[in-house]
Amino acid sequence: MRALAEPNRRRILELVAGAERSAGEIAAEFAITRPAVSQHLAVLRQAGLVEERREGTRRLYRARPEGFVPLRDFLERFWDERLERLRLAAELEEGRRRSGSSSG
Amino acid sequence: MAVRQDEAVEREVRVAARPETVFAFLVDPEKQVLWMGRRAELDARPGGIYRVEINDEAVARGEFVEIVPPSKVLVSFGWEGQEAGRGEHGVPPGSSRVEVTLEPDGDGTLVRLRHYDLPEQARDMHGQGWELYLGRLAIAASGGDPGPDPNQPAD
Repeated sequence: MRALAEPNRRRILELVAGAERSAGEIAAEFAITRPAVSQHLAVLRQAGLVEERREGTRRLYRARPEGFVPLRDFLERFWDERLERLRLAAELEEGRRRSGSSSG
Repeated sequence: MAVRQDEAVEREVRVAARPETVFAFLVDPEKQVLWMGRRAELDARPGGIYRVEINDEAVARGEFVEIVPPSKVLVSFGWEGQEAGRGEHGVPPGSSRVEVTLEPDGDGTLVRLRHYDLPEQARDMHGQGWELYLGRLAIAASGGDPGPDPNQPAD
């Protein structure tokens, strides 16, 4: 997925995977603006992959190993959701077709 | 928690509709988007393109490999943006396979989906498998709510 290929986000994860780092330290590694870095961090936090801790005025970040879901688990949920939608869509279609053929 | 990542993912669902009806949802772009993706480009013949945009962040892409109406569709499958060379840990487009079989079951259809040839993954985030958390990341990145962390107790 593109989110993964997003090189800056990936790089941020790599940076905070091994050690806790401040927002400033993270931003210093990038050519992009600090707000852009903050936005990437917000996305990573919302996804549960990075956690934030405040120490005085500093914000420290590190990766959350528990936020990482094995591919297999992800795909099981992914396909379960899709198949459920497929079921609903196909049953709706068949219902239409049956009622359509009975009326015409 | 020793999950073998190279095993296939297998799911199934029973649909109260005939195989012919369900089959159309696998090969017709307009019907495809009713259950997966917001845009789809499907050329359902061997070698034809299979491309499904899930959202801004996630685009599945591969090729149709085998089409047997109304009982089977096999496509190669991966994610755009994870092409070889752009990241060593992804699922490049077309690198895995998704097989869907449709079997009559009374007046309905038993749909079996098997996703195999997946790259072997490590759970260790220092190692491989950046795509592991990908579903959540993709949702969050597109402005959605990925829901509770499956590995965290709800609060």
